[in-house]
Amino acid sequence: MQNKDKHPDLNKKVHDARTPLNQISMQAELIKILIESNGSAEKLTEAAQKIIDNCQKCSHSLQQISEALRQ
Amino acid sequence: MIKVLIVDDDIEFTEVASQILEFLDYDVCVSNSLQEAKKCLEVEFFNHIFLDFMLPDGSGLHLIEHTNKLQHKPNITLITGHPLIKSIIADLSLPNIDYITKPIEREDFEKALNKRKVSKTKVAKQDNKPQKHFDCLIGESEPMQTLYQMINRVAKTNANVLLIGESGVGKEVVAQAIHTASGIKKQLVATNCGALSKELIASELFGHEKGAFTGAVASKKGVFEQANEGILFLDEITEMPIDMQPNLLRVLENKTLVPLGSTKEVKVNCRVISATNRTVSEIAENNILREDIYFRLAVFPIEIPPLRERKSDIAALVRYFLDRLNEESGQNIQVSEEQLARLQTYDWPGNVRELKHVIHRAFIMADLDKQLIVLPKNLQSPFSHQKNLLLNKNLSAGQTIEDVEKELIKVTLSEVDGNKTLAAEMLGISTKTLYNRLNAYGEL
Repeated sequence: MQNKDKHPDLNKKVHDARTPLNQISMQAELIKILIESNGSAEKLTEAAQKIIDNCQKCSHSLQQISEALRQ
Repeated sequence: MIKVLIVDDDIEFTEVASQILEFLDYDVCVSNSLQEAKKCLEVEFFNHIFLDFMLPDGSGLHLIEHTNKLQHKPNITLITGHPLIKSIIADLSLPNIDYITKPIEREDFEKALNKRKVSKTKVAKQDNKPQKHFDCLIGESEPMQTLYQMINRVAKTNANVLLIGESGVGKEVVAQAIHTASGIKKQLVATNCGALSKELIASELFGHEKGAFTGAVASKKGVFEQANEGILFLDEITEMPIDMQPNLLRVLENKTLVPLGSTKEVKVNCRVISATNRTVSEIAENNILREDIYFRLAVFPIEIPPLRERKSDIAALVRYFLDRLNEESGQNIQVSEEQLARLQTYDWPGNVRELKHVIHRAFIMADLDKQLIVLPKNLQSPFSHQKNLLLNKNLSAGQTIEDVEKELIKVTLSEVDGNKTLAAEMLGISTKTLYNRLNAYGEL
């Protein structure tokens, strides 16, 4: 609680980190479905790439949270 | 095909969500703003809307308001990643609205969409877990309260208890409850007199010395000695052969016994809880138990009520059995209000044991989509009809055929809840004949 009061924008940052996490989760679900339904390699690669991109975004958000906490 | 509208300004999200939902065989449309969504709703009907709470041109709540004006209201699932929003939505408790939280999995979509299909089947309200009395008995009905009171009273004394109750009422559980309430640390020793052959019964009860009979390769303590300074539970006491009973009387009276093949008397001090599924009058009339033994064992007789006399406990018992089954298998199968009501209309001739088995079967047959048990079409146990006949027959030599016929019609009618067509069919007569008989008997 104290941290949140000190850093009012922390909630927003946490929310920003959740968006790529949600993408990762849903793209992984999509990969499972594509495998079940013999989806094309192209689509599978595309979904996997989106997971990788969103991991980067998530990492970036976490970095910002960490910096905000250090201030 | 079920039509689904996704309203969210996050394009990456709507893209992947629509792909997943299309694979799940839904017809999907996407809007990235309130205005777009309203336009979609004007031209098309949607069964379900997945709605973001915060949209660039207003709150998702505006769209909910808008759908309330529509002739066919779609079901709405709000999508939220924010714990605060989650609690606001929960507080709103709108009837056709629920929410899912990010990160979203395929299962969340499936649950949101399937819940609608089963929402008519109301899952029975989950009260607090059924309370266990004496760590083993369940039920808050009046007959059970009386029973608890008796258990409490007698547990602290040293009196022998005779438990009387129909098969399946839980006599051994009540014995366990008395043992728990007594505070005696030594474990309850239990034996079933009905399960022992006449030859073995003496050895089981009083023990034997090595070489006392063929096969007695070692000496063995009987249950009376095992339960010394504790409690002995003798189930189905009335199934003990009458010529064995004098030996039992001696132990009960003098607190001494002589193991088979021994000459030495052994002192035993144990309390006896015995049980029978016969009624007191049956015991007396049919000379099943010697009178002197009866009074020794039944210093404090306790009648355990059959389940049909405490039907209000059925719900708690069902939940208890389901909880245990769910725990064992890591599932979450429930019972609906309708199913509970149906279980309460049945008479349960096999009592709690029968209920337990019916629930176990219904659990195995459970509908996994609805997460509900599936009861058999017919609850009748193969024994129930026969048992009712036995209960009601009171047949004796010299009775008129008319009397017996009358009784048979009465039992059959009560079995089918007064349905005369069904009763006639069961009796193998025409409905007309049944009506004629009923008229002749003055409608029973």
